[in-house]
Amino acid sequence: MGLAKYVVRRIIYMIPLVIGISIVSFFVMYAAGDPIQIATMGNPSITEAQRQFLRNYYGLNDPIPVQYLRWLDHFIHGDFGMSLYGGKPVNQIIGSLFWETSKLQLFSIILAFIIAIPAGVYSAVKQRSVTDYSVTSVSIFGISMPVFWFGIVLILIFSYHLGLLPSAGAHGAPSLWPVFGIRDPFLDELAHLILPATVLIFAGLAWHVRLLRAGMLEVLRQDYIMAARASGISERKILYKYALKNAITPLITLLGLEIGLMIGGAPVTEFVFSWPGLGRAYVTAVSKLDFPLIMGITMIITIMVLIANLITDLAYAWIDPKVRLE
Amino acid sequence: MAPLLEVKDLVKYFPTYSRGIFRKKIVGNVHAVDGISFSVNESEIVGLVGESGCGKTTTGKLILYLERPTKGEILFDGKNAIEIFENGSKEEKMELRRSMQMVFQNPYASLDPRMTVFDIISEPFKIHKHVPRNEWKERVYKLLELVGLEPYHAERYPHEFSGGQRQRICIARAIAVEPRFIIADEPVSSLDVSIRAQILKLIMDLQHRLGVSYLYISHDLSSVRQISQRVMVMYLGEIVEAAPTDELFDHSIHPYTRALISAVPIPDPKRKMNIILLPGEVPSAINPPSGCRFHPRCRYATSECKEEKPSFVEVDKDHYVSCHHYAEFA
Repeated sequence: MGLAKYVVRRIIYMIPLVIGISIVSFFVMYAAGDPIQIATMGNPSITEAQRQFLRNYYGLNDPIPVQYLRWLDHFIHGDFGMSLYGGKPVNQIIGSLFWETSKLQLFSIILAFIIAIPAGVYSAVKQRSVTDYSVTSVSIFGISMPVFWFGIVLILIFSYHLGLLPSAGAHGAPSLWPVFGIRDPFLDELAHLILPATVLIFAGLAWHVRLLRAGMLEVLRQDYIMAARASGISERKILYKYALKNAITPLITLLGLEIGLMIGGAPVTEFVFSWPGLGRAYVTAVSKLDFPLIMGITMIITIMVLIANLITDLAYAWIDPKVRLE
Repeated sequence: MAPLLEVKDLVKYFPTYSRGIFRKKIVGNVHAVDGISFSVNESEIVGLVGESGCGKTTTGKLILYLERPTKGEILFDGKNAIEIFENGSKEEKMELRRSMQMVFQNPYASLDPRMTVFDIISEPFKIHKHVPRNEWKERVYKLLELVGLEPYHAERYPHEFSGGQRQRICIARAIAVEPRFIIADEPVSSLDVSIRAQILKLIMDLQHRLGVSYLYISHDLSSVRQISQRVMVMYLGEIVEAAPTDELFDHSIHPYTRALISAVPIPDPKRKMNIILLPGEVPSAINPPSGCRFHPRCRYATSECKEEKPSFVEVDKDHYVSCHHYAEFA
């Protein structure tokens, strides 16, 4: 079948891309410095001989291409090696953080998308009305607010002053969520999601709303919308079925990009809310030059972006008959 | 016999705004359609001609309530259409929607690019439920055949068709509801000359076979002459002359009509053309000229024309004209 063939071909094309990206990141990373030096910097009692021993232990003294090939061999076998800190396998670290980050990100991205649809449609229909201006203002407000500031303001209001929502972590805050005394793990996770997700939704909403508004304005001027009206289709159906289907393509692109980039996408939010996620781990790993962890997360992001691109292309072909998958 | 469609004193003003810092103010009105009256009989094609921007398309949209009329009355089959669209029950509205359809000027913009031809043509069945679902396929094929397309076209998307084919699809969609009245808004002006004749023939064919009435809007006089039984000439939101087709082309009275007719190219290189050139531009519809709207461009204009609005008088059987000096031109 055409579609299966297309998908298989696209996945095969990804292999050289993944390898290329891994080579570039690997060499750039080695140019950044010596992880052993950084790790032992604060400890004056460590001798140069001990450092040399550590470098040998982690194989850091071999020529870089040799190290790369060794890494690649492990990578192909699904093994990212051991973290330089704590000695835990990178696979295990990523595995536990991956879910937390995707949970937060998917929740925010999808909710932003769902909110943007009525908001974008409505502000296009009532162009230049008070509602249109309000929707635009709120979404521009969200986009221009620095995440670290807005996040902290939310924490101050809802956690510190009102004591309604937990301020940190993804679940099981030390003093259990005090308001309703709920111990249900699902509600507990949801409560932890609300504040960081609000920040992310606000930050992303404007893109969705503005794109959809522009698309709708364009589509609503078309004669086929007028023809639909003339044949007696209800206004609601015209907007949400006929016009939306034609106006939503840019939004699908944006959604694909966001989902591809979501893994590394929100380190600041994760820091502010002490979210046990990959974004935060990534930044920490880079500052400590934890080579195996950096490579591991980089590869996960790469693969996510490539897969999201593929899904976006498939969604395009599904929604727009003019797009042929070749 | 009562006419199928009767339009009385139809008016449409579009407000123009000045954009201040806080609020917008209405500074004027575009007099798109300014008090026109006419009627269309059962299974008759009436042509509506005029320059770009004279209000032809707006008239069409007003009749279908795609724009809301500022004033006036529209009687369709004796029923008050505006009243029904504004306050009528859902059934009444749907019935009216079923009776009137529109074919748009640009076939590239009037078909939803995300729908197959089958979906486009069967859409009216879905809305009006006048065809049982198991007959949809048959009906769509029949409609395609009626407009000169093939059944296998049904599974295709609009972008796979040429302009002429698209216009046929638009016509098929319009007649899918079995309307009694179709507004054809410049249906051939964006098509190649070779395709035009086919589409015009199709329109006339449907008039004979299905008894559909048309309001044929165009700026192309030769196509109007070919297909309509009566012609109305519009200038700056008003109808200046209306007459049966042959009468209008052979004995036009209004200087504007005469200028228009003189500008129609004649496919004979030896014949000398006497084009009546109109001085100046079409005035702004925001501040239309006083008196007769045509007076700034009319070489016969007198002081009476500047001050007084001419009335629409019947000068011959079914021949109406709005000019102070009609007696001199007749």
